[in-house]
Amino acid sequence: MPGERQETLLRIIDLCDTVRMRGLDPFDVEVREFFDRLRELLPKLRKHEEFYLDIQAVLGLADVVFQQGEWIKHKSSLLYLDPLLITLKLHALPPKDLAGVLARAWHPIVQLESLSPHGIKEAQGYWTNLPPLEERWRGLETTEVLTGEIGRRELARLGITTEEDFAAVLDRTWRDLKDAAGVRGALSYWDFISKRSFEETVALAWLVSFLVTYGYATLELKPLEEEILLKPLAKPRKLERVATFSVPIAISRAEWLQRRKEHG
Amino acid sequence: MAEGGDIVELRERMARAAQLLLYKHHMQPGAKAWELRRALGRDYEQVLKLFDAELEKLGLQVKRVSEGEASSESDRYYVTLRGHPKLTEARTFGWRIDDMAMLTVTLAHILSKQGKAPLKEVERMLEEKFPRWRIESTLDRFIRRGYLSEDDEGLLYVGWRARAEIDQRTLLGLLLGKEEKPSEAEAEPKVETKKEEETRKD
Repeated sequence: MPGERQETLLRIIDLCDTVRMRGLDPFDVEVREFFDRLRELLPKLRKHEEFYLDIQAVLGLADVVFQQGEWIKHKSSLLYLDPLLITLKLHALPPKDLAGVLARAWHPIVQLESLSPHGIKEAQGYWTNLPPLEERWRGLETTEVLTGEIGRRELARLGITTEEDFAAVLDRTWRDLKDAAGVRGALSYWDFISKRSFEETVALAWLVSFLVTYGYATLELKPLEEEILLKPLAKPRKLERVATFSVPIAISRAEWLQRRKEHG
Repeated sequence: MAEGGDIVELRERMARAAQLLLYKHHMQPGAKAWELRRALGRDYEQVLKLFDAELEKLGLQVKRVSEGEASSESDRYYVTLRGHPKLTEARTFGWRIDDMAMLTVTLAHILSKQGKAPLKEVERMLEEKFPRWRIESTLDRFIRRGYLSEDDEGLLYVGWRARAEIDQRTLLGLLLGKEEKPSEAEAEPKVETKKEEETRKD
């Protein structure tokens, strides 16, 4: 039964990984029992792969024993407090109280930034030796690359957008959407995104796509009426157990102009 | 005259300590123990103790932060506020209430889980009170600024800056509604002197 042996070994390895990765109580693992199982299995192992898995399992169990030691050290330290109690408190306290807790335990680092004479000299040398822009560009060899996608985080990292601003803008758009939907709780997608300029319209459509992706609004498609309804949600919906799909909506300048003419 | 000369020399060494600890030289503020030993001499801890006494008048302190349990030459010294800012003051440092609350939740969760917690688990926890787009960017910022660190397996840890700036015991105590008085270790200057005495005996 080589398959069964491998499965047992893999299950032990997986369990040990879970303890290490997810911070589970290492005392939940019956280390002694598993070592007994491994001892029984050892004479039956034949393939290299099985021996390799056996080593992995032994190392995993050794790591669990190490985690048990760390767990005891942590529990006996002054920092140990019941995780459940902490979680309950974190759920119960409003953000302002949580912020107050941080402020009272906080001793910010004092630091200054300065330019030293050495730094100034280095900068002067750099400026003197730097060829003019025209000269530098002349010799640049360019390679054509295919277009790709760039994430928001990457854009922020490159300094093209700031995450703080984006969060604030998204927050405002969500509030505007809720106001626009009113008691009806829904409005036409095009009515909401349509703005005076095409650029503004595209920008708003882009923001709405984030609201929908993050579960702060939903789209309802009515293919017969050729209508798309946008429904803001009072609270964000967790998307883990919801079946989601992408809805591509093309916004062309011509269509935008036509809609502006029709609806004013 | 010799005594006067000693005082002048000590003042100069304290000024050098101030430069090393207050001005940012590399990516991180502060200075490592070996850097201070090289710049201030073998009795650098004594110099730091005197510097700490001067800083006390300004409501500041010298703080030593160890990477592990035992002290080593790679331990880092920082200058921090001796007390803590008021919540209203903290907001003038450029912190939002929501961001501070998120850092509290994240640190408390990590500390209650033996110093590490999966990023996804922390995000799920924060999602109960904060919008998801804000969580993502705020956690990223905490990592960039050193309040948190993340490994390639997606686990979050307490970062170097949080270890230097946040009194973890007080944080957890306050969270559970306990009024924490500053511990003796906190009230006293953080500069270790025991080791210095031992070295002298040698």
